[in-house]
Amino acid sequence: MYRIENHPILHQFDKGQRVSFLLDGKEMEGFAGEPIAIALRNSGVLVHRYTAKRAEPRGIFCAIGRCNDCVMIVDGTPNVRTCVTPLQAGMNVETQYGIQSRGAAENND
Amino acid sequence: MIRYEVIVIGAGPAGLSAAIEAAAHGLQVLVFDENAKPGGQLFKQIHKFFGSKEHQARERGFRIGEKLLAEALGLGVKVILGAQVIGIFAHRQVTVMQGDHMEYYVGNSIIIATGATENVISFSGWTLPGVIGAGAAQTMMNIHGLRPGKKVLMVGSGNVGVVVGYQLIQAGCQIAAVIDGAPHIGGYGVHAAKIARMGVPFYLSHTILQAHGTKSVSGATIVEVDSFWQPVPGSEKNLDVDVICLAVGLSPLAELPRLAGCRMQDNPLKGGLVPVCNQYNETTVKDIYMAGDAAGIEEASSAMIQGRITGNAIAHQHGYIENTEFDQCHTKYQGALNQLRAGMFKRDSRKETGLRYTQEGYTLSKTLLTKGFLSTSELSVFPGIPTEVRRRQGVTPIIECTQNIPCNPCQDVCPKGCIKIGDKITNLPVMSASSCLGCGLCVASCPGQAIFLVDETYEDQFAAVTIPYELVPLPGEGSKGVACDRAGIPLGEAEVIHIRTTAYNDGTALLTMKVPIEWAMEARFFKPDHIGEGG
Repeated sequence: MYRIENHPILHQFDKGQRVSFLLDGKEMEGFAGEPIAIALRNSGVLVHRYTAKRAEPRGIFCAIGRCNDCVMIVDGTPNVRTCVTPLQAGMNVETQYGIQSRGAAENND
Repeated sequence: MIRYEVIVIGAGPAGLSAAIEAAAHGLQVLVFDENAKPGGQLFKQIHKFFGSKEHQARERGFRIGEKLLAEALGLGVKVILGAQVIGIFAHRQVTVMQGDHMEYYVGNSIIIATGATENVISFSGWTLPGVIGAGAAQTMMNIHGLRPGKKVLMVGSGNVGVVVGYQLIQAGCQIAAVIDGAPHIGGYGVHAAKIARMGVPFYLSHTILQAHGTKSVSGATIVEVDSFWQPVPGSEKNLDVDVICLAVGLSPLAELPRLAGCRMQDNPLKGGLVPVCNQYNETTVKDIYMAGDAAGIEEASSAMIQGRITGNAIAHQHGYIENTEFDQCHTKYQGALNQLRAGMFKRDSRKETGLRYTQEGYTLSKTLLTKGFLSTSELSVFPGIPTEVRRRQGVTPIIECTQNIPCNPCQDVCPKGCIKIGDKITNLPVMSASSCLGCGLCVASCPGQAIFLVDETYEDQFAAVTIPYELVPLPGEGSKGVACDRAGIPLGEAEVIHIRTTAYNDGTALLTMKVPIEWAMEARFFKPDHIGEGG
């Protein structure tokens, strides 16, 4: 997909173990220890959350934990910066709607 | 409350250099960094740095990072990662968030080396996933080994834009275009030329009008701007891209000195709001010092020297070194810094000269400033270009270095002394008449990849052209491909006759191709047969 297999200067990248995790209940794959956002981007997932008022999509912007655009719900905790949070096996990652999960957002309506 | 003689905030090039300098003089140093790994942005810099030997020129940024880190740890510097400094209070009390709790430290001296943050510009659709900072692209590909997308629009032609553009191609992405609102390419011409010869188009006096897409970027519209920065109707162009990369400058991260009560100034030459510092980087609050981009935007090599200046000053302040040693070191570092600050790309000198002439009086190449490549007709006047008579005598370097940038590895590495720059490292390299061995050390050492070897005596009607090559897969000897000119336009078939890779050249292969003799001064890139459209 988007992984660089052979880089002219850096050659190979040291990656952890291949692990699976959940995105909105769907099983996904990534490498343990890499940022959650990297595993998602490789699987073609770009939308991390929808804004509270206008429900606009947001994703990775700065990739260094500064802009807070890529936050998601991780294991029940909202506003987790996925670009600097290491992926672990079995993590439950959810798209964030405003500051909550989809189900919770719908219950508000 | 834990007390240290020196507390450094930020483990990037400036912070680590300051820590090393202070620790080398015997001070006890603690460094905080909010990230999981030290090194700041150095580990994302996979290109070779400019400068001279004392600035570690021709070394790749991440290797400098590895050295700095090893040196700091060897000197007993303690580095605490995942530690976010949230404030500096009275008597230099530092409050640090580590995980979910607060810790309190006191530093006899504090060095703030928090670096910079990327600027953004807003436009319709700019919040769509797929619009990213250039730094984000570097982090994704050079740290995590992931391409940020397939086809990229680079907004901004400063050094960050052109360098990251080149790195994106190395990672396997395509660059649809590099655009800039200014009428001239802002970065070094040599950096622009690297991607121009791979077929990347530059659109100057252009801005981005809109990012298209509903859930993520599916395209972009760019438009020409007039001299009042207003869009020119009818000049819109649509580009098929899935990534829009913003490389529109940096701003100092100077919240901490502000919180600590340091007097601040808004200084456009330093990139924004920065603390007022004396020549030793001390702020208006006693014992609080700065180092690196947080005190004014420059680049990593300058940041490392700034760190040294600060560390040296603190060692003196604490009585760890005598006046003479302190003065000697300070003068040495200041001299090294002044060298890097010289040249036509320095912010204030650029304003004066408007990028028209070199310091030697040569007229700058217009096509280089607007399209990213030198036209052959402009080339011959520069002192790095040997005469036709010299070229008929055998292999010779062609030094396509035409702007005054502080850099001299070519002079340093040449075993025969063919290349002269002199003491002033911003001088243009001059080709002397002495004999070239064809070793190619200059080709691989030039951080601008602006040196090529041409042998017009290779065979009857054929010349051998050696170029620096940093892409994968590396073409094999005997393989065929297409020779491209400086604009990336295919000239015709070329054959790879020699590939040289050495540890000393650190990933820069020397690719020698055989081309018809009339292309000897045109062919500057080799496109293997299996690669499709360039850029």
